[in-house]
Amino acid sequence: MTEKNIKIVSFLCNWCSYGAADLAGVSRMEYPADIRVIRIPCSGRMSPKFILSAFREGADAVWVSG
Amino acid sequence: MLTLSEVQNITGEKGNFQVEILKKPRYVREDRCIACGACTEKCPGKFEDGYNADLKTRTAIYVEYPQAVPLKYAINPAACLKLTKDKCGTCQEVCPADAIDYTMTEETVTIDAGSIILAPGFKPFDPSRFDNYQYSKFANVVTSMEFERMLSATGPTMGHVTTFPKVPANPKKKKDKLLAEKRKDPKKIAWFQCVGSRDVNKCDNPYCSSVCCMYAVKEAIIAKEHAGDGLDCSIFFMDMRTPGKEFEKYYQNAKDKHGINFIRSRVHSVVEDAETGDLHIQYADEMGQIIRETYDLIVLSVGLEISCETRAFAEKFNIDLTESGFAKTGSFEPVATSRDGIYVSGVFNNPKDIPESVLDASAAASAAGDALAEVRNTLTKEIPAVPETNVIGDRPSIGVFICDCGSNIAGVVDCPHVTEYAATLPYVTVAEETTYACSQDAQDKMVEIIKEKGLNRIVVAACTPKTHEPLFQETLKSAGLNKYLFEMTNIRNHNSWVHKNNPDIATEKAKDLVRMAVAKAGLAQPLKEEKIQVNASVMVVGGGLAGLTAARSLASQGYETHIIEKKDTLGGEALKLWKTAQGEDVQEHLSALIKEVQANDKIVVHTNTTLEGVDGFVGNFTSTLNTDGKTTELEHGLAVLATGAKALETTEYSLGQDERIIRTLDLDRLFRENDPKLDQVQSAVFIQCVGSREPERPYCSRVCCTHSVENATALKDKNPDMDVFILYRDIRTYGERELLYKKAREKGVIFIRYEVTDKPKVTVEKDFVAVTVKDHVLNQPVTIEADLVTLATALVPRKDERLANFFKVPLNDEGFFVEKHAKLGPAEFATDGVFVAGSGHYPKPVNEAITQGRAAASRALTLLAKKDSLFTSGTIASVDVQKCSACGVCVSICPYNAPSFMTEGRFEGKADINPVLCKGCGLCVASCRSGAIHLRGFDTNQIFSQIFALGETG
Amino acid sequence: MGNLLEHMGVDRDRIHFSWISSAEATKFVDVVKEISEKVRALGPNKKFVKDYSK
Repeated sequence: MTEKNIKIVSFLCNWCSYGAADLAGVSRMEYPADIRVIRIPCSGRMSPKFILSAFREGADAVWVSG
Repeated sequence: MLTLSEVQNITGEKGNFQVEILKKPRYVREDRCIACGACTEKCPGKFEDGYNADLKTRTAIYVEYPQAVPLKYAINPAACLKLTKDKCGTCQEVCPADAIDYTMTEETVTIDAGSIILAPGFKPFDPSRFDNYQYSKFANVVTSMEFERMLSATGPTMGHVTTFPKVPANPKKKKDKLLAEKRKDPKKIAWFQCVGSRDVNKCDNPYCSSVCCMYAVKEAIIAKEHAGDGLDCSIFFMDMRTPGKEFEKYYQNAKDKHGINFIRSRVHSVVEDAETGDLHIQYADEMGQIIRETYDLIVLSVGLEISCETRAFAEKFNIDLTESGFAKTGSFEPVATSRDGIYVSGVFNNPKDIPESVLDASAAASAAGDALAEVRNTLTKEIPAVPETNVIGDRPSIGVFICDCGSNIAGVVDCPHVTEYAATLPYVTVAEETTYACSQDAQDKMVEIIKEKGLNRIVVAACTPKTHEPLFQETLKSAGLNKYLFEMTNIRNHNSWVHKNNPDIATEKAKDLVRMAVAKAGLAQPLKEEKIQVNASVMVVGGGLAGLTAARSLASQGYETHIIEKKDTLGGEALKLWKTAQGEDVQEHLSALIKEVQANDKIVVHTNTTLEGVDGFVGNFTSTLNTDGKTTELEHGLAVLATGAKALETTEYSLGQDERIIRTLDLDRLFRENDPKLDQVQSAVFIQCVGSREPERPYCSRVCCTHSVENATALKDKNPDMDVFILYRDIRTYGERELLYKKAREKGVIFIRYEVTDKPKVTVEKDFVAVTVKDHVLNQPVTIEADLVTLATALVPRKDERLANFFKVPLNDEGFFVEKHAKLGPAEFATDGVFVAGSGHYPKPVNEAITQGRAAASRALTLLAKKDSLFTSGTIASVDVQKCSACGVCVSICPYNAPSFMTEGRFEGKADINPVLCKGCGLCVASCRSGAIHLRGFDTNQIFSQIFALGETG
Repeated sequence: MGNLLEHMGVDRDRIHFSWISSAEATKFVDVVKEISEKVRALGPNKKFVKDYSK
């Protein structure tokens, strides 16, 4: 199965996208299970180092969302 | 909080009311319901979904809407098959939390209250009785409330605007099916304003509902954004009323940028095309031409109405109402009803938009609190704290708790397997599975396990930390652990709920998430929340109505308050006013208020005083005052900025060249002094929007229409033979001020509308002042020979950039203060501990300035009341001075001004972060070139640990 | 950031930035689907991955 092999490291802002993800759950919307969420206090917390490191650790993609 | 409850009776008086409340059964136990929604899936009972404007049905067991508080399901007894016919019972069977209880009955509770606040709200006008618009017959005539839901992404049409919206999405009846087939994306939508407002012919609502113009503009813009530029939106209106802050610009943008058509006309009737369902309308344009048009959808902008129930309620409890059914309140006590000790907020206290409702609510809370000031804190109880175990230096010993959330998680994710897996992770001592981690018994058990196994880090894999993190942190505290030794991961909202058709993948994902959380928890450190010292005194800048009101309220709650006034007297611009919109004498009330303030020993008045500098932050400000050249320092914890606005100085319309041309406030003076000059006037002209709603000052000054209408009526009262003209662009007598406009017309005041591109011309002649204006009915220029011309000049803020800089608060382009949140934070700034009131925020009449003054005091009180238990957050940034290179990037980048350079000591010049101001966003951490800043709780190594943990299995 | 990664041989479609408000669940789902589709089309990332066997 190809699905298993994809991992998207997702850095989500606690106040915005993380909340949207919660709401998507409450609304029982379905979406691909490829994302792995890392909660950050604000998208300002992001640093290029995290993105590079995610790729280095085998991420297939990185998603940063404020 | 009592929901599903009705007040049955109020007895007693201010300070000692007994309120009898009928609590209706929910049939769902609030203490057990976890709002998983399993009950709704098979519920056979259906009824109309009021939240979605009845455009769809909902099940008999329901939650009002996803953000409802409390988020607990309820059963509608009229729609439930178990309760009506004793059939079914499915919800009880499927409920994983055993929360359903069909045996609940009504109960009556009596509570003692010192003050009462009424906020019953309004009901949207029902246009069914308007036969000319055929709302109940024509499928494509909808109300604005219905349209609002159609625009919503979570609404009945998922945000897709379509015709025949009232026909069910998946129709079952043959008739509905036929209509549904005709469905199309509308190409032309029209809004009809003032449906159920400003109308005494078809309904009895003479007032303006205040909010419809703005919401219609908003709906049109959003509809266009959804559908693209091909959509044609037209708004049919009488006067465009956008007098709120930033509203006028929004309206102009709707016209210029979004291409929305604004048509000044009241449409007479609507005819439906029997075949297509399209709607044909006929209207007269401004030139009197009859125009025929066809629209796909017509939205009726329905007004706000007070329900019969609310009226009956008010009557029963001796609350005086206005003729239109709103609570009667005075301009100087704008949230107090006629019954002492009972206060009011929201639309029941006159039609209003969100920010005014929020201000009303804060003001009502302050008024209710003032009445109870003496007994404050006499009934509070303290919770004893458990001493904290020191875990620094100890090897991590992690406890992992995996929550099944009934079947919500366990139904998809293989929880036993995840638990087993968690036990194998590094540093994990215990891994437990629980049915409901948030239940009281699970919490007690967690405390027990922590103590028994000597755990020092806890991971909970359950729902969202946004709602449940505080609960688990409390559990840690009661087990003697620092609450930051906790990590939560979301295997419900982000996993089981959204991947329910892929249990294997969901289980794998849950394992990944748990592994990441464990890795991060291993690095968690106990964090300290530092106590914030709050100086319990407040500085109010500005001694006008808003400032005086705020000071009076704060002082009556026992807090020392300083009023800083630049002039030698208190009162501000209100000293120049004659009467309020309700006809009250301003000077009489104002002097009473000033006397009260001067007599209050908690209030120190500093007149002839300016502010020279401000240092510090919330709880600890030090301000430098200059009184007649003498400098003093004032220490205070909070500040209220109430600097007001003043009438525009202008030379437009020959102002200043002739004494017969004056400003509104000059006319007020003539009235106040009962000047004999007024008796000589035979012809008076008012010119509106002098300096307002123009490119230079693109806002509406809000107060001028009502003021001129009122003064024009007063001139007519003085001499009914006088010719009185008001030259205007839109008359904006919002709310019940509309009644003044109606009265003025009845008394014979003549209203002539002009266009901003063709303004009136004023020329001074020897015997009169000639005012020439193009009449909008005749479309011809007319010249009025006036002997008094009153200019309604714009209200301009002080635009005090220095003051704004002192407190680091923003000003908008026009110089008004920018509040924390346009809707939800209208009396406070984003800067903690600084509040705003009065016309410095936006022009406002007497009652609104007082409301905001009270609201600012109320917001300040929420901080003062907590002053002994105010702590900084633990998850904030701190600087490693050894690594800091003093480059200053953090100082300049922080949106909250938390970092600064140390000015003394060993590390002079290095950055230091004020824990009180830091919000923990991490911007400085990411920007620090030296890696000297750490964000506790989200430190770089913790985020790396999560990334690495993800990489481990591959 | 995208340019840097591209320079290093990582495909632009492997890095996404977005802004979603907490009320926009639908948008959230749409973005996840979009990213997921793009990344699946690209297949697993091989560039720049630390090789644990070394």
